[in-house]
Amino acid sequence: MRRRSSLPVTFLVPTLAILLVLSMVPTLYAIVIALQNRELSSSDYSWVWLSNFIDLFADRRFLNAVWVSVKWEIVTVVATMMVAIGLGVLMFEVASPRLRNIYCLLFIIPVLLPRVSAAFVWKFAYHPLYGIATYPYRLITGGLIFDPLSKPATALFAVASVDVWQWGLFFAVIVLKLLETLPPQPIEAARLDHAKRWQIHAYVTLPMLKAPLISLMFVKMIESLRSFDLIYVMTRGGPGVATETLDMYAFSQGFIESGKVSYASAMAVLMMIATVITFTMLWKRVQA
Amino acid sequence: MRPGRLIGKIILAFAGFMAVFPLAWTAVNSLKNNVDIITRVPRLVFTPTFDNISYIIGRDSVMTGLYNSVISCGVAVLIGVMLGLPAAYAVARYPNRFAGDIQFFVLSLRFLPPVAVAIPLMVIWLQIGLYDTLPALIVTYSLLTISVIMWLAIPAFQAVPKEIEEAAFLDGYGAYSVFWRIALPVAARSLIGAVAFSFVLVWNEFLIALMLSSSNAKTLPIVASELSQQGMNVPWGILNASVVLLSLPPLLFLGVLSGFLNSVFRQKKT
Repeated sequence: MRRRSSLPVTFLVPTLAILLVLSMVPTLYAIVIALQNRELSSSDYSWVWLSNFIDLFADRRFLNAVWVSVKWEIVTVVATMMVAIGLGVLMFEVASPRLRNIYCLLFIIPVLLPRVSAAFVWKFAYHPLYGIATYPYRLITGGLIFDPLSKPATALFAVASVDVWQWGLFFAVIVLKLLETLPPQPIEAARLDHAKRWQIHAYVTLPMLKAPLISLMFVKMIESLRSFDLIYVMTRGGPGVATETLDMYAFSQGFIESGKVSYASAMAVLMMIATVITFTMLWKRVQA
Repeated sequence: MRPGRLIGKIILAFAGFMAVFPLAWTAVNSLKNNVDIITRVPRLVFTPTFDNISYIIGRDSVMTGLYNSVISCGVAVLIGVMLGLPAAYAVARYPNRFAGDIQFFVLSLRFLPPVAVAIPLMVIWLQIGLYDTLPALIVTYSLLTISVIMWLAIPAFQAVPKEIEEAAFLDGYGAYSVFWRIALPVAARSLIGAVAFSFVLVWNEFLIALMLSSSNAKTLPIVASELSQQGMNVPWGILNASVVLLSLPPLLFLGVLSGFLNSVFRQKKT
């Protein structure tokens, strides 16, 4: 393969140049806007340097949004991994090859849905009076009302359940495929030692899959940051600010409530710095 | 072991039911009149109506949204294929010292919070007068499609046996014709999966479309989300029908994507 050819240059340079321009222009411009005081309603602006950032740290709603985002990440990532590993191992243990194929197909469906669709589907399902998901509760209690989306204590979990419904089932398929690629000898050996099924998975198979499982978790952490559509359709950040994540707050500051584009951009820049640093460090560690 | 297996099977069957039932219920509701939806006890027997579906299909805003979605996603995926596939092949087959950095750069585009991209782009498109147009959406989506296609196509090209390409070189093929006639066809199955995946991603995209369009360039997800804000009298049946319409295109790729997953994990085995 080590022939001299112009191919790598003609194939790589244009694409990388376009990617660089398309990603760096908005990124740098986001920083520029964050240092100004632009508003949607008017075209004049001046440089205010760091004052947007200073204001942010005195803004209790911003601090709340940071906290909600952290909670959201932890809840969705942990629950997704638990559902994925649980169902993946179950499929591996009790399902015949034919059933496995059927389950795999079914479990991919939710993740293919646009988040807007998934959000609507579950918004109907969680409707306190007519929803199908709240129906068992109405049936058992004789018609009491259960409204998970409008209670601060449950709203975040209700929205998170939709995210886990989409990703947990999909990841279960991947966990199953990973289990299927493992060599059978260690499992046989553990079985000969009279290990119980759960012991085989807890001490043999899952440790063997540590690296791919960590990569999966990494992917989910990135995807969990894109929860805007779910929250926008299901709760709009409410009730109150119970489900207001950083992107939801940035959007409502910049476009719904006050049109403070620069303030929103300052928030976005902080998010960008935090995610780039965190994920770069995690990535280096995953690769090492 | 017996009762354990039975419980396991029941849990699995329940999970399978949960995977499809909510969507199936939405599809059923799209065939109901409002009176049949707004009931305290879910109604299974009803006279189906196609009013909701014909209302959705007959609405101009929905058709414009569908058109905008098809054009912007289709063109962005096409650009992603034309730029992403060759670049992925170059990274996979002509290793250089930047290969690792290039892969990390492409992945890191996924870390960028969409708000951080959408706010400055909105200001930029406003300034050059392209705000709320399809070209603006297409350019923005291309960033997504190129990087996703590249990311997924690099391993697909690496899985093509080197010997086939070596043999083609010996037969006198040039570097470009090896790419066209050997690498592309051999890797085609996985590549189609990668392309389908990038299409589903941009079709499902919401935040960027919401911020970069106000009336002309609205895509289908935005139109669907707006239908829910029509005052107090919620048109439940129509909403359900629009959810079904929005979900159909990605579901068409179900078979392709599950085949793609299978081929990705089969390669790892060898």
